[in-house]
Amino acid sequence: MTRQPLALTINGEIHDVMIEPHWSLLHVLRHELGLTGTKENCLEAECGVCTVLLDGKAVNSCILLAEQARGRSIVTIEGLGDPEHLHPLQAAFIEHGAVQCGYCIPGMILSAKSFLDERPGRVPSEAEVREALSGTLCRCTGYQKIVDAVIAAARQMSARPEAARRAP
Amino acid sequence: MSFAFHRPGSLDAAIAVASEHGEAARFLAGGTDLMIQINRGRAAPKHLISLAGLGLDTIGESEGEHVIGALATLDAVVTHPAFQTGLVALTQASAVVGGRQVRNIATVGGNIVNASPAADLVPVLLALEATVDLRGPAGTRSMPLDRFLVGRGRTERRPDEILTAVRFDKPPAASATWFLKAGRRKAMEISVICVAAHLVRGGKARIAIGAAAARTVRVPAAEALAEKEGAAAFREAGRIAADAVSPIDDVRASARYRKLLVATLVERALAACADRLGKDGR
Ligand SMILES: Cc1cc2nc3c(=O)[nH]c(=O)nc-3n(C[C@H](O)[C@H](O)[C@H](O)COP(=O)(O)OP(=O)(O)OC[C@H]3O[C@@H](n4cnc5c(N)ncnc54)[C@H](O)[C@@H]3O)c2cc1C
Repeated sequence: MTRQPLALTINGEIHDVMIEPHWSLLHVLRHELGLTGTKENCLEAECGVCTVLLDGKAVNSCILLAEQARGRSIVTIEGLGDPEHLHPLQAAFIEHGAVQCGYCIPGMILSAKSFLDERPGRVPSEAEVREALSGTLCRCTGYQKIVDAVIAAARQMSARPEAARRAP
Repeated sequence: MSFAFHRPGSLDAAIAVASEHGEAARFLAGGTDLMIQINRGRAAPKHLISLAGLGLDTIGESEGEHVIGALATLDAVVTHPAFQTGLVALTQASAVVGGRQVRNIATVGGNIVNASPAADLVPVLLALEATVDLRGPAGTRSMPLDRFLVGRGRTERRPDEILTAVRFDKPPAASATWFLKAGRRKAMEISVICVAAHLVRGGKARIAIGAAAARTVRVPAAEALAEKEGAAAFREAGRIAADAVSPIDDVRASARYRKLLVATLVERALAACADRLGKDGR
């Protein structure tokens, strides 16, 4: 197959890539652009480690064709904050010890961001957070500290919305 | 594995590409089913025709009807204001398809055309006696969803026809719907059995069941009984529904267990509808 040009908007910047039509967004992120914060595992949308935001909503980049992201806005974990300016979710995950091996965490944080951004100003219940994260598996933590961290971040974000808004 | 990717600018252009390539082409909605089939080697289309951006994703109303565009996502159904009370079964069913990442991409049309016997939205649409709209080279045609579904993975759709929308009459005020699903765990699980019920005060009941036969089915004999209303009638309707279906043994559950689930879930779904009718004082 001949490669075709595709302009992808990732973390606010436009990236011009040459793609084969069957490449997933995950493949392009990791192997063409070196954005390896997005993880690769089941490749069947079961585990959620490949979660990115597409126009603000969490999606599995493993079964999304790069072509399907044409003209849309993508956010990966690299776009969320940096060591000096952590997103409230990132800060809360550190504070609550919600990270063990870390492999699921980029997907976990982006799943949580998509969920919290849909309900600004509201602090969700534990049951709501667990449901919202059910498409993102963690094999280390037992989830409790992750759920605690998401609720803490929601409190922080509803009290100080500007901290969350600074990051994309 | 590769294919040509088409991004047609109109429905007619999409249909033309499909007509040209016949069985070698597939339409792409969310791709949550198709991409997995392709990756597993179960489908090998040479042409993928994107249906994005063709205006098929609106959820709206027209003279006495609700119309859901085929490209509406399941997430859009979950959050739609018109589906939170009498039509809550649409929300209940959409909300248990995969995880949020899947629902943000997966479409209503994909759930229907896929024709999986375990598709969660399909029993609700059948209980609402929905109609599907198809558009092909010869124009548009419509048919009851009940006729559209043929068998496991099989529908009346021709390869170059696009499912454009699914629609159903607005139910009367004194009516309720309910959806129940049993899986091996609460989330991220394909249905072992799913059931939708639609009860209209004054003598109309509709019951549809998923994962209990080669396609999602209605059970008219059980509906007739349920129309009598009351706990005993609902229990009997469950029993008759269990007799009427022909589930299989598979890795998820035995046929016997599925029949037990049908009896229980049909009874509970009907009771939940009746309960809602009572509560709302309608
Ligand atoms: C992790 C995971 C969990 C899932 N869990 C569930 C579940 O619990 N319950 C459930 O019901 N489903 C489940 N699914 C299946 C799937 O997500 C749904 O059936 C979804 O609604 C399919 O929609 P789609 O837009 O992604 O379809 P696609 O994959 O884009 O299309 C499916 C099929 O329909 C055809 N098609 C799609 N739209 C049209 C159209 N408008 N006109 C003509 N042809 C069309 C395509 O060519 C393809 O053959 C799950 C999938 C995944 C990956």
